[in-house]
Amino acid sequence: MRNYLLKWTQTIRVAWTNYTTYRINFFLQVIGPALVFFFIKYNLWSSIYSAKENLIIQNYNFSEMINYHIWALIVGLLAQGHTAMNLAEDIRMGRISSYLIYPFNFWEFHTANFVAFQILQIFISLITIGALYFSPLLEFHGAFAFIQGYIYTLYVSIFWFCLQYLTGMMAFWLEETWILRVIVMMITAFFSGAIIPLDLFPPDLVAVLNYTPFPYLTFYPIKIFMGEFTAIGTPYMILSFWILIFIVINSLLWRKGLKLYTAAGM
Amino acid sequence: MKHYLQVYQKFVSTAFTQASSFRISFFLVILMDLFFYFSTLASVIFIYDHVEYIGVWQKSQLMFFISFMLTLDWLHMTLFSESFWMMGEHIRTGSLDFILLRPIHSIFSVFFRHFRPATMVNGLVAIFFLIKYGLALNLSPLSWALTPFLIILGLTLLLIIEIIISIAMFWIVEGLGVNFLRMQIQHLSRWPDFIYASLTRKVLTIFLPVLLIGSGPVRFLYDYKDYKLLIGLIIAIIISWKLMLILWNVGLKKYDSASS
Amino acid sequence: MIHSTNLSKTFQSYIKEPGFKGSLKAIFSRNYVYKDAVKNFNIESKRGEIIGLLGPNGAGKTTLMKMFTGIIVPSRGDLTVMGYKPWERSKEFRKKIALVMGQKSQLWWDIPAMDSFLLLQKYYEIPDDKFKKRVMEMSDILQVEPLLKVHVRKLSLGERMKMELMASLLHTPEIIFLDEPTIGLDLVAQENIREFISEYHRTHNATIFLTSHYMADIQALCKRLVLIFNGEKHYDGPIKEFENILGKDKVVSFYFSEAQNPNDPLWMRLEPKWNDFLDQVELKIPESDLRETTQKILDHKSIIDFHTENMPIERVMKTLMANPDILKA
Repeated sequence: MRNYLLKWTQTIRVAWTNYTTYRINFFLQVIGPALVFFFIKYNLWSSIYSAKENLIIQNYNFSEMINYHIWALIVGLLAQGHTAMNLAEDIRMGRISSYLIYPFNFWEFHTANFVAFQILQIFISLITIGALYFSPLLEFHGAFAFIQGYIYTLYVSIFWFCLQYLTGMMAFWLEETWILRVIVMMITAFFSGAIIPLDLFPPDLVAVLNYTPFPYLTFYPIKIFMGEFTAIGTPYMILSFWILIFIVINSLLWRKGLKLYTAAGM
Repeated sequence: MKHYLQVYQKFVSTAFTQASSFRISFFLVILMDLFFYFSTLASVIFIYDHVEYIGVWQKSQLMFFISFMLTLDWLHMTLFSESFWMMGEHIRTGSLDFILLRPIHSIFSVFFRHFRPATMVNGLVAIFFLIKYGLALNLSPLSWALTPFLIILGLTLLLIIEIIISIAMFWIVEGLGVNFLRMQIQHLSRWPDFIYASLTRKVLTIFLPVLLIGSGPVRFLYDYKDYKLLIGLIIAIIISWKLMLILWNVGLKKYDSASS
Repeated sequence: MIHSTNLSKTFQSYIKEPGFKGSLKAIFSRNYVYKDAVKNFNIESKRGEIIGLLGPNGAGKTTLMKMFTGIIVPSRGDLTVMGYKPWERSKEFRKKIALVMGQKSQLWWDIPAMDSFLLLQKYYEIPDDKFKKRVMEMSDILQVEPLLKVHVRKLSLGERMKMELMASLLHTPEIIFLDEPTIGLDLVAQENIREFISEYHRTHNATIFLTSHYMADIQALCKRLVLIFNGEKHYDGPIKEFENILGKDKVVSFYFSEAQNPNDPLWMRLEPKWNDFLDQVELKIPESDLRETTQKILDHKSIIDFHTENMPIERVMKTLMANPDILKA
């Protein structure tokens, strides 16, 4: 057991090295886009709200709207930053063979990578929150809401990892997986309320979206952080349901893909 | 000039040969772009469901601007986008070596190399929205006639700025990050200049003139007296063109060529 | 043709300590190390020469080639190639040179070689008739005509290398730089390529720089040899003389019918290299004692087979690296 854990911790260490070797890249790929995205939204909503004093849009006053987007930034960093690019590359470049030989499995290796990435992101998200804490922009809604929101968001990140894993697995069949990854990211950002709050969507569309996992990925955690929702029960169940489905699909895909790989010797 | 056109013709024809062997990607790229158009347009429409003005523009004005930028983006995706991503690859693997050997300007053979046939059809969608909102605004015949040229003018500045940013790849060998930075620049340019607070607006108009790309032309199309930003766009193209040539040569000097 | 004085190139890289702490540290401060890939390199070459560049991995051969072709800029020193400064990369200069790298492909992977050739035709502004003639000629000699329309990724390594050569010579360059053009190829393909290169040299009186790990390539093609260690030139002269420096020793392999005692005084001083079963040995024997020593072993031991060869290149390198003074003598 101890030896098994050591494999994990060592893999995590190596992953840290990989992430920080290209330090500028890490910043430009993970943190930069999130900040620019927030920056644009901040400017856009400032300009919209400056039209009239005390303007209220769908129950959001200016400060609430900005808070929504600050929490969207945090959720984005914490739950939707990871990509399965390395995983897809391993498959594409035929590097799977080494995992078939090592006594540490492919999924274990990539899950350890994800854990390493999440620890970095926890670090970064706390710094971001810390910085915003001293600005007049951010409003806290008590320690309970914050802890609840944070834990729930980490749970969302597991969902996200499983989904990314699935797109990465497609590398067995597709020559490029980045297109698929971008599609998944755009659809998620839009339908989960990361671009504009779901309250502003047409009600019919929201009714449909409620049958999908999307609202639970960004909109829900934000609302928990803002003290409007609590995270007991349903959201966890729905996410768990989808995580389970992804695990089943992923292991099926892995078996199929491996057959393809060993048969063709890719 | 003829030399360059003949080479470009071959770039395009090899792109078609290549695309024909990757059919799934071909359709996924189309899907990706269409969803991008959809989410961009829908976000703005949803906001206008609740407000009458964003900044100084009402719905059709901003929608025309967005469509203008989507059309510009469509040209960018078809003609250049792939080449920017490939540049990182060329530097990392050292295949830039062969590009540098050819008797043609390396900026041309790096950034015009990869034509993307898949996105060609998507242009119809972008142009459809451009015409739809242009009609809603009752644009004058002169404005209609000028629109294509102004799109190309804006695209030129965007391209030059992006090339200047990409030169950083000579120092930061892992090109992915620089490409992400480049995409952030595009994001900034996709909104009209007035949404930005005054200091930001100044910086993004003068020092990193991304706001001139769309706002210069579109403001002029709405009101011919509003020509200052358009003049700014032309000046920015001239200055950044010179800067690009200088920096490119500095970058080439830095080039180490992988696995020596 | 090529003239360089004190040509040097320095590369920079950094050192990272392992672990999370090391990673964090690397974010904020880095220890850079500098390495001279090429140091004070002087060379003078004439038109029509074929020059072999020899040296172990990492000696600086490829860096040198890349400076000659203008791909990388020298850190110090002077360099002119056909009167041009390569790193200025003038259009005329680029039309007169070619670079072939055994480890890197200039052909586009996903399209047939012919499509790549057509693009290169436009790059180099080669007239249609001349282009067709060149393609016909070359594919005839290399016997690759049926492969021109096959996707490059479907070709074997040997076939691909032939296509690479064709691609580089379409515009009839005056100087060709060949960086390990036969690496990884079988003997037949190696010979094909050697013949093709020497044919091109004969018909166009081109200047050729060649690096290779295979001594056979160098021996077959080059009259002049340049030896590089750690970025510095250690020998420059006719290949004949070079062979003489090392030719005093021969390598003789013996195959015995039974295991031998490695401590037998018979071979104690001949730097023996034994196999695991002690029934095969490689001995280094000075040319002057060759007959005598071999005879002695044949008389005393039961031999199945034996053969003599010149020092293999790896062994030459090892010997030279251990005692660079051999060259100075």
